[in-house]
Amino acid sequence: MVGVVIVSHSQKVAEGIREMALQMSAPEQKIIAAGGMADGGIGTDAFRVSEAIVSADTGDGVAIMVDLGSAVLSTETAFEFLDEELRSKVQIADAPILEGAISAVVEASLGSNLAAVVATAEGARTLNKC
Amino acid sequence: MIEIQVTITNTSGLHARPAAQFVQKAAAFKSKVKIAANNKVADGKSILAVMSMGLKQNTQITITTEGEDEKECSKALEDMIKSKFGEE
Repeated sequence: MVGVVIVSHSQKVAEGIREMALQMSAPEQKIIAAGGMADGGIGTDAFRVSEAIVSADTGDGVAIMVDLGSAVLSTETAFEFLDEELRSKVQIADAPILEGAISAVVEASLGSNLAAVVATAEGARTLNKC
Repeated sequence: MIEIQVTITNTSGLHARPAAQFVQKAAAFKSKVKIAANNKVADGKSILAVMSMGLKQNTQITITTEGEDEKECSKALEDMIKSKFGEE
């Protein structure tokens, strides 16, 4: 099952999204929050993100949801900390963080592969609300 | 092919959590699953397609299942909707 990591500048945002996503996913689905800095402040921390990716991987790779700006840079830096094998199966989804995360965990819970999980997360961009 | 009509009775409709439960149940079967309502048709195994339908409470939907386990699949989905997804 593809793991999902949520990277936000805010620890509360990342954990809140994780909490919602857990409601929608299979019990064994890995969803790891990597929000804020080590001291609890606002920001993104590449080291925390890389640790989250490692714990989210069960062998099928990891889809990463990011919020804004440097969340992408920190995630890309985090990729450099990973061993080569894991680095080949991680992907950032260009998706809205909440809707993307929800869609991604449902798709991942079905047992879909990384490309399908990322595609579903990115498809959440066009989800109409009313 | 089996076609059933069922009304969504749970308060939040076929959104978010119920939509996720529906898709996961549908995906557990081999049969193709389609939902039709409001002149739209969606793949019942796609979370985005189901959520995009915007199915509210009291909407009547048609679920079509087709495949070797169509009967069991149809029954499981019908039961899930009728049980209001465990909402109340």
